[in-house]
Amino acid sequence: MIVCVAVVGHQNNPLYIQSFTKGDDSLLRISILNVEGCSYHSLKRHHIVHCSLDVVDERVNNPKKSGLIINETFLGLLNPTENYKVYGYLTNTKVKFILVTTDLEVRDVDARVFFGRFHTAYVDAVSNPFHIPGKKITSRKFAERVSTIVKSFGLSSGG
Amino acid sequence: MATFLPQFQSIKSSFAHIVLSVEDVSDLWPTIKKGFEERLPFKRASLNNKTRNPVLVDELPAEFILTTDARLRSRFPQEQSLFWFREPYATIVLVTCEDLDEFKNILKPRLKLIVQNDDREWFIVYVSKAPAHNDQATKMAKKVFAKLEVDFSSKKRERCCKLDIHGPDPNFWDDLEGKIMECIRNTLDRRILFYEEEIRKLSEQRFMPVWNFCNFFILKGNYSGDKPCDCFWDTSESLAFMFEVAHLHEDALREYDELELCYLETGKQRDFGGMEKGDDQATLLDSGKKALAQIVQDDSFREFEFRQYLFSCQAKLLFKLKRPFEVASRGYSFIISFSGALALHESMLPFCMREVWVITACLALIGATASNYEDGLAAPDVEKEFYRVQGELHTLCHTKFMRLGHLVGYGSDIERSPVNRNDMLGNVDKRKVFCQENLSQSVDHHKEFYIFLHSAITLVFPCSASLSMLPWPKPAVWPPLPPDASSEVLAKEKMILQESPRLKHFGIQRKPLPLEPSVLLREANRRRASLSAGNMSDLFDGRPSCPAWQTELLNNTRGCILLLLISCVWDMHAYNCIKMENFLDSSQTSVSDSSGTPSAVQRVSNVSMSRTLSSPGNFDGSIDRPMRLAEIFVAAEHALRNTISDAELWKSLSSVEEFEKKYLDLSKGAANNYHRSWWKRHGVVLDGEIAAVHHKHENYDLAANLYEKVCALYAGEGWENLLAEVLPNLAECQKILSDQAGYLSSCVKLLSLDKGLFLPKERQAFQSEVVRLAHSEMEHPVPLDVSSLITFSSNQGPPLELCDGDPGTLTVALWSGFPDDITLESLSVMLTATNSNDEGAKAIKSSEAIVLMPGRNNITVSLPPQKPGSYVLGALTGQIGQLRFRSHSFSKGGPADTDDFMSFEKPTRPVLKVARPRSLVDLAAAVSSALLMNETQWVGIIVKPINYSLKGAVLHIDTGPGLSIAEKHEIEIEKHEFGANNTDHSDNPPDNHSPVSADVKQLSLEDGKINLPDWTSNITSVLWIPLKAISHGLAEGTPAGTVSQRQSIVDGLRTIALRLDFGVSHNQTFEKTVAVHFTDPFYVTTRVADKCSDGTLLLQVILQSQVKASLTVSDAWLDLQDGFAHTGKGDGRPVSKFFPLIVSSKSRAGILFSICVVDTPAKDGEELDPISVLNIRYTISGDRNLGAHSPVTKELTGPENETDPLTFRSALVLQRPVLDPCFAVGFLPLPSNGLRVGQLVTMKWRVERLKDSGKDVDSDDVDEVLYEVNVNSENWMVAGRKRGYTSLSTKQGSIIVISILCLPLVAGYVRPPQLGLPDVDKANISCNPPGPHLVCVLPPAFSSSYCVPAA
Repeated sequence: MIVCVAVVGHQNNPLYIQSFTKGDDSLLRISILNVEGCSYHSLKRHHIVHCSLDVVDERVNNPKKSGLIINETFLGLLNPTENYKVYGYLTNTKVKFILVTTDLEVRDVDARVFFGRFHTAYVDAVSNPFHIPGKKITSRKFAERVSTIVKSFGLSSGG
Repeated sequence: MATFLPQFQSIKSSFAHIVLSVEDVSDLWPTIKKGFEERLPFKRASLNNKTRNPVLVDELPAEFILTTDARLRSRFPQEQSLFWFREPYATIVLVTCEDLDEFKNILKPRLKLIVQNDDREWFIVYVSKAPAHNDQATKMAKKVFAKLEVDFSSKKRERCCKLDIHGPDPNFWDDLEGKIMECIRNTLDRRILFYEEEIRKLSEQRFMPVWNFCNFFILKGNYSGDKPCDCFWDTSESLAFMFEVAHLHEDALREYDELELCYLETGKQRDFGGMEKGDDQATLLDSGKKALAQIVQDDSFREFEFRQYLFSCQAKLLFKLKRPFEVASRGYSFIISFSGALALHESMLPFCMREVWVITACLALIGATASNYEDGLAAPDVEKEFYRVQGELHTLCHTKFMRLGHLVGYGSDIERSPVNRNDMLGNVDKRKVFCQENLSQSVDHHKEFYIFLHSAITLVFPCSASLSMLPWPKPAVWPPLPPDASSEVLAKEKMILQESPRLKHFGIQRKPLPLEPSVLLREANRRRASLSAGNMSDLFDGRPSCPAWQTELLNNTRGCILLLLISCVWDMHAYNCIKMENFLDSSQTSVSDSSGTPSAVQRVSNVSMSRTLSSPGNFDGSIDRPMRLAEIFVAAEHALRNTISDAELWKSLSSVEEFEKKYLDLSKGAANNYHRSWWKRHGVVLDGEIAAVHHKHENYDLAANLYEKVCALYAGEGWENLLAEVLPNLAECQKILSDQAGYLSSCVKLLSLDKGLFLPKERQAFQSEVVRLAHSEMEHPVPLDVSSLITFSSNQGPPLELCDGDPGTLTVALWSGFPDDITLESLSVMLTATNSNDEGAKAIKSSEAIVLMPGRNNITVSLPPQKPGSYVLGALTGQIGQLRFRSHSFSKGGPADTDDFMSFEKPTRPVLKVARPRSLVDLAAAVSSALLMNETQWVGIIVKPINYSLKGAVLHIDTGPGLSIAEKHEIEIEKHEFGANNTDHSDNPPDNHSPVSADVKQLSLEDGKINLPDWTSNITSVLWIPLKAISHGLAEGTPAGTVSQRQSIVDGLRTIALRLDFGVSHNQTFEKTVAVHFTDPFYVTTRVADKCSDGTLLLQVILQSQVKASLTVSDAWLDLQDGFAHTGKGDGRPVSKFFPLIVSSKSRAGILFSICVVDTPAKDGEELDPISVLNIRYTISGDRNLGAHSPVTKELTGPENETDPLTFRSALVLQRPVLDPCFAVGFLPLPSNGLRVGQLVTMKWRVERLKDSGKDVDSDDVDEVLYEVNVNSENWMVAGRKRGYTSLSTKQGSIIVISILCLPLVAGYVRPPQLGLPDVDKANISCNPPGPHLVCVLPPAFSSSYCVPAA
């Protein structure tokens, strides 16, 4: 299950972070009661995505060691820990896409397909003339599209 | 085979070198032993590895053992093959013999016997005892040795060498070493072949049931041998060990790798292991900790011990290979994977075994690798990687250690952060926390209901530790509370009660991160045997009366289940009722959204209320009381005490202080290592953890330093959510440390973070702190950068355009990020010129205090005159109280986007443009034609603004000499219409220019100044000023036909100096002097039209109109000079009666006067009047737009026809006819070819005496006549005397010719030289023929010599 996707700008600034958790949306609203803790729910994924940038930097700075092929945008598995996996993708404009999943078995091809679609959605979103480059992506359409892509994760290749 | 394991391990532990056996045939060994052993260990041994490639081993330890030694003799043949690695690699046969016969008969057969075993590698050392001086003995020894060589050496292999005791050959030792090496190499090769064959055989049988991993293992792990073998399992490890002993570490490592792989594939045992005392301490670097025999079971090994053993063997080899970084990285992977394996078996292992093992493993690995690593050992990138892994190991250890801390109740002492927090699924877990906390507080006296709800919540919100970094331990049964622990429980409870969520600075209140105690409470109770049995569906299913609707609800939406729970709580407790009411209020909306009809929700709620679950009898009696948190802590502590065998680790958990110390050590270790690796962010984040501890212990200085690093990282990359966690802490430290600048800066940063990250009241607290400090006496006031908080931009639309020197008003839009209004004591906007770099920014200050509202504010600042150029907004400075602030952030027209952290975009759009100096206004005379002299005339001044407003302009008028303003008249102003000159005609009556027309305004002159009316500020207007030009001279008429002696134009010119003060603050001045031409209405010429025989002369007076106006002559008369008189009635009026005579513009008219010459008797004492005066009464009808017009006074008196006629007087000089000529001067014709510039010409005059001179003349009858040539020297050059006397006979008719050579200087019609006779009265000179008035002078002839013909 994908739990979080993120777009990080070329200066490592977060452009878009969206989490996907199981649960009914209507139920999620109950958390409004807990106003004081509202901002906390995103902290952890911010932390994970932020720290995974270290790995992206490392990969980019050590292409030989990491076996990165020149012009390869898919960075592969960035940060396997005991409970989740982080995958990365780097565009030519140094924009990073981060995928956090709890699936223990993720096929590279699925991740590649996901990032390909995500990239396309991102390109469409930033092509919006009202979008200011370098600013957070606030397009609702983009969010919906990302949700669709996340839902179809792993389905494309028959997985 | 497994039976050999103890033996194998003992061999391994005591065996670290290869063995060379010595067959001491002749009892020589004691004598030469020393020499031999001095050669050990062997240097630069060359061996073959598994792939038969030569490998140079720097140091090969070995031992010489006599064949008679017990260690070699007591072996069973069966053991030999298994432990072959410890068998001798070479057999050295020591012999001596000094007699050939003895050699032949005794020694040779014996040696043959010894070497007959082909399996062994051997060679013979012949020791010669012969002293050097004894030639006989030496010879004999040589003979014997030669015989020995013949018998035992072959062409292929030299097997003999000779040692001379009394004088050893220096080459002997090299020879010996060479032979030993050859033997070792051969033996090794052979044994490798053997083991390989064995392993191959065993590998083939791997998947067969009879296969035995033990055998395989020992075989693979053990081979060559000098040192005790590392092996456990049969064949496999023997090979690896053999390589190791032979110092072929790479090969040994490869064997171990293969062995591990093989084990993981096939060798695993069902019994995992790890249940023994001390197993919690990782042995992944200590292979000898546990005997292999202990871990073997059913011909294979227990995973727990064996994998650690294998790793320790690998690590040992890697350390030997000086690759500690590889140990670290392999170790980390190993720990992660092994931790996974432990997790699989967690339910069987002791409580928290996994955590404890990981901690000890990490610590062991960190210690071993760090001590084996030296800086510079590896390439920089490897080094970075090494430190990264070290950091990872620290982090992993830190994480697990935290988990243990949480279990024993120390968790609350560590500030929770995203780094150490458990669950990232915030919303889901917050719901759980909400429910659980409320329920546990209020309904614990209804324990069964609590349990029910607990299970229900678990079902509704499935335990989603899916992203948990730190899952709780999952023992099969949660450890129970020891019976005698009530005092400890009390202590823990006290601790829990005392702990209160530390209030963050600024009154920021946050619920504890959703980690514990609530979740632990649930998890622990769930895992207790009696509670782990069921979940909600079980509970429902177990109830015979479970209605269908409940099941349906259960299956349908979790939202409905929630409602069910709420209704149950409602039924249970009034307090909860109230609480849940709120809860329901907000949830109803959401649920109704999904169901579509709110009534449905209500219905469900009502129904569920009626079916209370207050006494679910099934639960009674079957469920223990749930453990309280303090009990869980105590139980966990006791269980951990049983698990942890490491005293150090237990000490770290024994008290909060020790726990924190260890926690800090691990955090620091991780951070330091991350800082030395690529993973800077990890390091900085951990710095934040360390800072939190320092913060707690009031080491604010250290904490602030570290927090600053963390904040800089987050702020630098724009991770606001993370920054919002840390920044309040930093601010608090700074406040305590009295770092006012830092504190202010932090407050500003807090305010500039996304609004959603803090509550409004918190943001207000930030603001009040800023304001409080700003108004207090700061010790070291520093300018505060509020770029992120107050942004500015120019207003929409084009930039303000100003002319040079003009002040202006600039409007700037300010966005305030403060949550409340804030008063700025002053505000300045810096303007930066874009076109010049040398000029710094200029501050434009707003004069008054400004109150900024949240959001957009429009601020107006007055702008002093600026230099020409284009300006952009540079920065904003100002003051809040005593605090100076500064903002550089330019907003593009919206509220500040705080994530725009990296781009201080220079505003490119200019906000102000100051034009280069240019004409802003023009003043010009309205007419170019002449006005009437000596009459008050309207002089029009066109005031033309050039794209500039003349609002409030003042015109200063200063008339020059000969000109005065008729001050009693008003000054008029009207709109100037272009083309008016063309449309109006001079003959038009001036009715349409009535003095007060609709668009003519009257102004008055004050002190020579006129204030221009506002309506003229943007249009071209004409100012009509009544002016009178004074000329005291009388106009002079001239005789017709003579060269015009017209009044010079310059005489009629008058100037008006004008100065216009205008501009926004009269800062602009325009000065101009306007010339106005005045003239008389007529130019008068006269000529005698006819001479009558009676002496009457008809004098024609020609009037040439000089103005662009129609002149009506109503009367004219001539006051004649003396000597002339009018004929007829003599009133001086002309003879004709056609007055009024209208003279159009620029036309001529003539008037005839009939006069006669009279002799005027000279009056005594009176001068004769030499001038006749022509008087003309006329009226003028003209347009002031065109030129001359009726004088102003006249206009004011009334209509045109009632105006008094004007009088024009002109002097005329009438010349009496020459009645008594004495001389006639005639101009002789000029040459016919004309005059040309530069060409000499002779001017000739003929002077003839017409009368005899009346003087008494001399006898010679010659009179001297004075002549003078008047010539304009600019036009002519005269050669000769211009004035002189000439002789002329006094007789009548005498003639002389006066010639003068002249040179014309200019071309054109020029007046020729005139000859005059100064001594003779003009009345006596007649000009016959008269000289020409003008002659034509041609231009000089072209010089063709330089001309090139045109192509």
